[in-house]
Amino acid sequence: MTDHRGDGSQVLQVGALARVEGEGGMRLEFRDGEVADVRLNIFEPPRFYEAFLRGRRFTEPPDITARICGICPVAYQTAACWALESICGVKVTDAIHTMRRLLYCGEWIESHALHIHLLHAPDFLGYDSAIEMAADHRAVVERGLRLKKAGNDLMTAVGGRAVHPVNVRVGGFYRMPDAAALRALKPTLEQALEDAFATIALVAGFDFPDFEQPYTYLALREPDRYAIESGSVVTTAGTAFPVAEFGRHIVEEHVAHSNALHAKLDGELYVVGPLARYTLNFAQLSPACRDAARAAGLGETCRNPFRSIVVRAVELAYAVEEALRIIDAWTDGAAPAVPVRPRAGEGCGASEAPRGTIFHRYVLDADGLITDAQIVPPTSQNQPSVEADLWTAARAWADLDDRTLTLRCEQTIRNYDPCISCATHFLDLEIVRS
Amino acid sequence: MTAAARALVVGIGSPDAGDDAVGLLVAEAVARFGLPDVEVLTHEDPTDLTLLWQGRSRAVVVDAVRSGAPAGTVVTVDALTQPLPGGRSSGTHDFGLASAIALSRALGTLPGRLTVVGVEGVAFAPGDPVSPAVAAAIGRAAAVVREILDKPSHDPAW
Repeated sequence: MTDHRGDGSQVLQVGALARVEGEGGMRLEFRDGEVADVRLNIFEPPRFYEAFLRGRRFTEPPDITARICGICPVAYQTAACWALESICGVKVTDAIHTMRRLLYCGEWIESHALHIHLLHAPDFLGYDSAIEMAADHRAVVERGLRLKKAGNDLMTAVGGRAVHPVNVRVGGFYRMPDAAALRALKPTLEQALEDAFATIALVAGFDFPDFEQPYTYLALREPDRYAIESGSVVTTAGTAFPVAEFGRHIVEEHVAHSNALHAKLDGELYVVGPLARYTLNFAQLSPACRDAARAAGLGETCRNPFRSIVVRAVELAYAVEEALRIIDAWTDGAAPAVPVRPRAGEGCGASEAPRGTIFHRYVLDADGLITDAQIVPPTSQNQPSVEADLWTAARAWADLDDRTLTLRCEQTIRNYDPCISCATHFLDLEIVRS
Repeated sequence: MTAAARALVVGIGSPDAGDDAVGLLVAEAVARFGLPDVEVLTHEDPTDLTLLWQGRSRAVVVDAVRSGAPAGTVVTVDALTQPLPGGRSSGTHDFGLASAIALSRALGTLPGRLTVVGVEGVAFAPGDPVSPAVAAAIGRAAAVVREILDKPSHDPAW
């Protein structure tokens, strides 16, 4: 809708942009054809999770913080467990660590399949929604639903539930899934593997605008595998630090136009998520995934956020491969958890949520009660770079008609798969020309 | 008997978000009837419905609804021809039952007959118990599901 204001400026407002998470808005202002201001406003109300964790027992964050998000609860649970275990001086067994990775594979499959097929692909294929797209691209949507269900099935087998897993505890799990139950998932996952590689081939054929991000990328890195459930921090700026030091480098700040905090890395904006992981850890993808990425036209780094759908598809295939690899090697008999006794102290944990690195920090007293909590989710870290991308997009495409510009800007936001909350998903877009 | 020929009952909801659990509780009550040729499932993610009911001759989905009716009101909707009451959004990325039906329609995966049994809820916050009026409606809703399943498949009222 185009509206002419009394002061001569021109406002274009698009309500209800679907296919992003949470409640927010975007405002683009043009003066004399030049971009004058870009703001991504998150007006999703603050949710106060950090405040109401205070006074709770050290055993509670995995269940409480899982409720922050219905699509990436494992990211919260895992980061919380690492942080609390570090305070208590506990190191989990290799089997528990592996099972955390398997559960996390379920979340990556579920989340990436959903975003690629139901939220992002309609942008590239020219539809307003997956429902509209389904009529013409039935096989694509069905493949996405099959993949998502495979992720759900894996989450249910390991986590006890598909949406908010209940099997995770500080120190490990309440029970380990049976090897037989895991192997029963193999036909589903083998189909998912075929589907995931077909997805890479599909999205590789989409049209991508020329667009390069110059920002610093940040991701976790493990020495011997593509980081998912754990790792230490590396960046494309050459900095590297253990997760315990994230507070010295990553600082969140309030901005007037948003209810979400904006994070900076050593004072600069930065990006977390699939592009950052891929660019920093390409060598640790499997040979099949590296080959598929090259065949899809990706190099060993990727700085075009519009190609994030291809990178997500590569990560989707990797997560399915990993799940199969772990299941094939799994044997019964491992203890589900290690005992954890509380002690006073401060600790940090991090993991790679589907949308990017998530950090948790807790302070416990000697009785195991939480006296301070900090959660830095990926979307608050990426918010400044979403705005920066929108500046670039608005400048590059200022001459496009409002409808096309709006679609490009919406797509620019969806490149990040932003997870503003799990409650609503409306974003009002406002373009002002004066 | 093949899976396609068996009727499917799916309870949708979250077990620990107050009245959102009612779909699951009604499905459990239906399962206790031990009806022959009926498969009963509970599920949290409505997106999976598009695959779960594919190829079935009949399916009944039980879910909580919010339409403004008194708590515990049980409504029955022929989902192939009528809109759902309330338009309650649920599930990740706001992909609820109505979206699942719309997507399934676009994909051509709807079952031969699809009935939604809705139970009006009032309390949906995490950790809330099921409210008394909704708890009192579980048996009634399960009886409604049984009545639907007892009708022959050629009955136009099904």
